[in-house]
Amino acid sequence: MPPRLRLRPEHLRTRIPQQRPSHQQCRYASLATATTPAPPIEQTIHSSPLIARYPPTQPPSYKPPEFRKSQLHRQYASLLRSSPLMLLFQHNNLRSVEWVGIRRELAAALRKVDESLAADGRPDYFGDGVKLQIIQKGIFPSALKVVEFYHPEQQPQAPVHHPTDPATATSATIPDTLAASDDTRLTHGLSRTAHEVAEANRRNKKLKHGLEPLLSGPLVLVTFPTVSPRHLKAVFEILAPNKEFPAPKRKANPGYHEPAVQSGLQKLMMLGARVEGKVFDMEGARWVGSIEGGLDGLRAQLVAMLQGVGAGITNTLESAGKSLYFTMEGRRSILEDEQKAQAGEAPKEG
Amino acid sequence: MITKFITSVSTTFSPFNARSGKTARSFLALLPPNARQNMKIDVKMLPRAAPSTSSNSAKPEPAAMLLLGFKDGKQMSLDLEKLKTKDVQEEVDRHSRLLGRQEELTGN
Repeated sequence: MPPRLRLRPEHLRTRIPQQRPSHQQCRYASLATATTPAPPIEQTIHSSPLIARYPPTQPPSYKPPEFRKSQLHRQYASLLRSSPLMLLFQHNNLRSVEWVGIRRELAAALRKVDESLAADGRPDYFGDGVKLQIIQKGIFPSALKVVEFYHPEQQPQAPVHHPTDPATATSATIPDTLAASDDTRLTHGLSRTAHEVAEANRRNKKLKHGLEPLLSGPLVLVTFPTVSPRHLKAVFEILAPNKEFPAPKRKANPGYHEPAVQSGLQKLMMLGARVEGKVFDMEGARWVGSIEGGLDGLRAQLVAMLQGVGAGITNTLESAGKSLYFTMEGRRSILEDEQKAQAGEAPKEG
Repeated sequence: MITKFITSVSTTFSPFNARSGKTARSFLALLPPNARQNMKIDVKMLPRAAPSTSSNSAKPEPAAMLLLGFKDGKQMSLDLEKLKTKDVQEEVDRHSRLLGRQEELTGN
């Protein structure tokens, strides 16, 4: 068979490097002092940004990122930042059948609210966005601390080195851009700086976010993508029924009164709520749920109240003048009557 | 915690109270999943602010109470402000072990 590779024998011979004569070497030595071209002006004024050696979506994290707890930390931090309204419940040994039933009932109730909102023509139907999530009791407080207390954008930026600044001598150590997990320039939620903020708060206990006493034991979180009292009302009617938020009747919703769902609901206890960063207890949460008409309704009430206040002030200021006018008018009419009476008497007498 | 001999649980607490809220909640979390069929459980949650005794009462009632009823009719009332979860468990276990021994002796 012919060979697969067509090799020519002269290619297989190795090439011996030619020895250059000495005068040519001297010429090359003089060429070694040739100047490099001048750098562009931009490079002399600004130092070039250091290239990061990690992808922008995966900056190095302080704790190992492959652990489930690091990923849960990220999930909880994003959940906390994206849900302005969340309810906290305690779940006491619910079984999976009960969970399935409760989630089903919740989804059905929220779908009904969405349908009614869509029928009204309002665009904010997002019942799908409401999630019931069991949270880990060690990682959630840490994520909450990072979200509440770590604000890297408020901290002063690290000074950028200027090439002519004496501090930027060439022998100064510029931190390298390899993926070091304890790099202090990183500012994401899993970085060392965020971890230090959370640690400091754990030790100092100076800054409190108000949810600390609730964050123990088995917890479940119901998160809403926006503050919508109508969806909140539906959730209350299912999960924490009350006189104010009555549970659906047996005829209207037979699935709700299944034994599994009912026994599961008895084991759910509502602890509190976090609305836009502020902590409410049960009563406060119910008050939020009882606001009529949602945020728009609140705004309309506020506007009406402000208008009313304006009208009230005008009335009060005018009332002094008005009462004076009425008094004078009354006096004038009385005087006129007296004059008429006198005029009437005079011709009588005369 | 031996929960076989408990017939009724009744609690009043405020979840925002750091000491008693945690104790009460962890006690409720220790009850087994089938507990609701065998015992009557009544939970009353107080709002965040402790109920201030505005009227002149001689003895302010404790904000956090746990009332347990056992199979032999004994009513145990525990003050959750003073006791920790472990202490509550010990009390319950002590009486439950007694009842357990009695049951064994009577051959049930």
